[in-house]
Amino acid sequence: MSTSSTLNPRRATSEEVAKTIKRGGANWKPIAFQALLLILLSVSLLILIVLLADILVSAWPTFRDRGLSFITDGLSLNPETAGVWTAIVGSVIIAVVVAVLAFPVGIGAAIYLEEYAPNNSITRFVDTTVRNLAGVPSIVYGLLGLALFVPLVNIIGFGGATSGKNVVAAGITMAALVLPIVIITSAEAIRAVPNAIREAGYGVGATKWEVVKNHVMPVALPGVLTGTVLTLARAFGETAPLLVIGVATGFFAPAGDASFYDTLTGPYTALPVVVFSWTRQTQAEFAETLAPAAIVVLLVVLFILNGLAIWMRNRSDRKW
Amino acid sequence: MTKFMKLAVLLATVALVASACSSDGDEETATTSASGGDGAAGTLLISGSSTVEPVSALNAEAFRALNPEIGITVEGPGTGDGFKKFCAGETDISDASRQIKDSEIEACEAAGIEFIELRFAVDGLSVLTSVANSAVSCLSFTDLYALLGPESLGFRSWADANALAGELEGTTAPYPDAELVVTAPGEESGTYDSFVEIVLEDTAEERGQDAVARPDYTASANDNVIIEGISGSDTSLGWVGYAFYLANEDKVAALEVDGGGGCVSPTPETIADGSYPIARPLFIYVNKAKAESNPALAGYVDFYLSEEGLANVDQAGYVRLDDYAPVREIWTSRTTGVQEY
Repeated sequence: MSTSSTLNPRRATSEEVAKTIKRGGANWKPIAFQALLLILLSVSLLILIVLLADILVSAWPTFRDRGLSFITDGLSLNPETAGVWTAIVGSVIIAVVVAVLAFPVGIGAAIYLEEYAPNNSITRFVDTTVRNLAGVPSIVYGLLGLALFVPLVNIIGFGGATSGKNVVAAGITMAALVLPIVIITSAEAIRAVPNAIREAGYGVGATKWEVVKNHVMPVALPGVLTGTVLTLARAFGETAPLLVIGVATGFFAPAGDASFYDTLTGPYTALPVVVFSWTRQTQAEFAETLAPAAIVVLLVVLFILNGLAIWMRNRSDRKW
Repeated sequence: MTKFMKLAVLLATVALVASACSSDGDEETATTSASGGDGAAGTLLISGSSTVEPVSALNAEAFRALNPEIGITVEGPGTGDGFKKFCAGETDISDASRQIKDSEIEACEAAGIEFIELRFAVDGLSVLTSVANSAVSCLSFTDLYALLGPESLGFRSWADANALAGELEGTTAPYPDAELVVTAPGEESGTYDSFVEIVLEDTAEERGQDAVARPDYTASANDNVIIEGISGSDTSLGWVGYAFYLANEDKVAALEVDGGGGCVSPTPETIADGSYPIARPLFIYVNKAKAESNPALAGYVDFYLSEEGLANVDQAGYVRLDDYAPVREIWTSRTTGVQEY
């Protein structure tokens, strides 16, 4: 018995129909497909679990032997005193600069593109360009930062002792890097707002400004927030642009009388760069256990960021 | 709506704070540049070779622990990049895994920068194979040329190099008929430059070839990746800095190398006395004018050449010189220019 053609409509009884449905020959395809999907899911999960387990096992000696001092110590090439504190600080400052620059600009651009821009060839060109920019390799943004933002940082007075190759320039570069992604995710969230909401607003006499402010944005906000906070995670994990913008890999310490300005415009480092730098050191401890420990710290920071994104989305979620 | 407003207000506040910081900053620069002149005293910027970076970084950390008021930065973009900054007057010390080039000396002279050249350690390049490889124990420079030089392009087996080795003098051919898997540093690396210059250049010149290594090997900028590649095949071949071999003696085996004076295996002794043929000196170049005007810089170099500072040469896996009296003399007398060795 191979197909449902064995079911002759004239002679089919309810038992026969049930039998065909339960163990009929035609049913193996959906089951096989489902099984294949399950296997694919398991494979990707397994890779992730093996990776995580491997990193955690390698990182464990560092956390056991060093404890909190691994978190509170600064950049160093001495395996006994190497820590991630300066890297966490550098990464967080970069993230703050990204949040201050890329979020308002990106969300504003998305609102304009979705709500105000006329649907003509120029808008479509801008839209396509933004999407292409999101796919540009990060090192290209690093070179852009070196050519454009490092001099810019000098001009606006944030050059300091590093002549502009500092965390401010790095943050601006990262902001440029995630800007297209902020625009795309925000635009998607705004586009997902049902048109009925806008039309209802216009129906009761609201102006465009009132519709966007009071109706579209509150509904789109959860999606916008999720998208933008996730781009922070991207900014956290990027290494290549920072290597171009003079990130420190060896050692740095501010002078005793350094002001806040000196520290901000002085040398900096970031978590992914520390991982990169430590995997290439001579002393075995760096590649074997310190770099995995830094990866764990990076992962924890990313989990916190993603958790924050989910929390903010749930808080601002509104039903209609 | 209210939440959206709150977010907007929040962002506006952050922007305001940021701009307030920026005006603070401007005042700060004004005062620093008024009192400190060019290059604020009490800070050190050290750049250059990533090979030397660990020694300079370890010394910087130890020196900073003794002098917490001094600000120090150590970075390692590469010897060439380091000299560019050094001859532009941006850095106090340039780390180098080779001697300064004539073009770099000219750049420094054009900028009016006098430097003190201090050779403080030696780094051997180890030619490595798998610990399982017992067929080969010693290779001469011409062997290495036959197996790794520009004319070896496409050789997949050691035996493929037999014909080429026959044209060269001083080889140990025939080689075993085994797969030749090469993993080594990429062209951007100083370790690549040193290997080509010391091992391949002379033979390549004689044969009218470009002084390069074969381009068809697995290249990595990360020496730990190279170690993994070499240990991954029983009949592998490659080279890395001696320090990386020392840290991975259980995974890879160092071949003896014959540079014309017999087979010598890399040990701290043979590297230090020069009998191991593939070794390169490590230098720091100190800006003389800055050393005279900045006591922090002079103190750091003093520390670098002290017993405590030189202990970090061992810590980083490099080999100390036999005698530090000459280099200390160059430093105390502040003798500028390139030295002869």
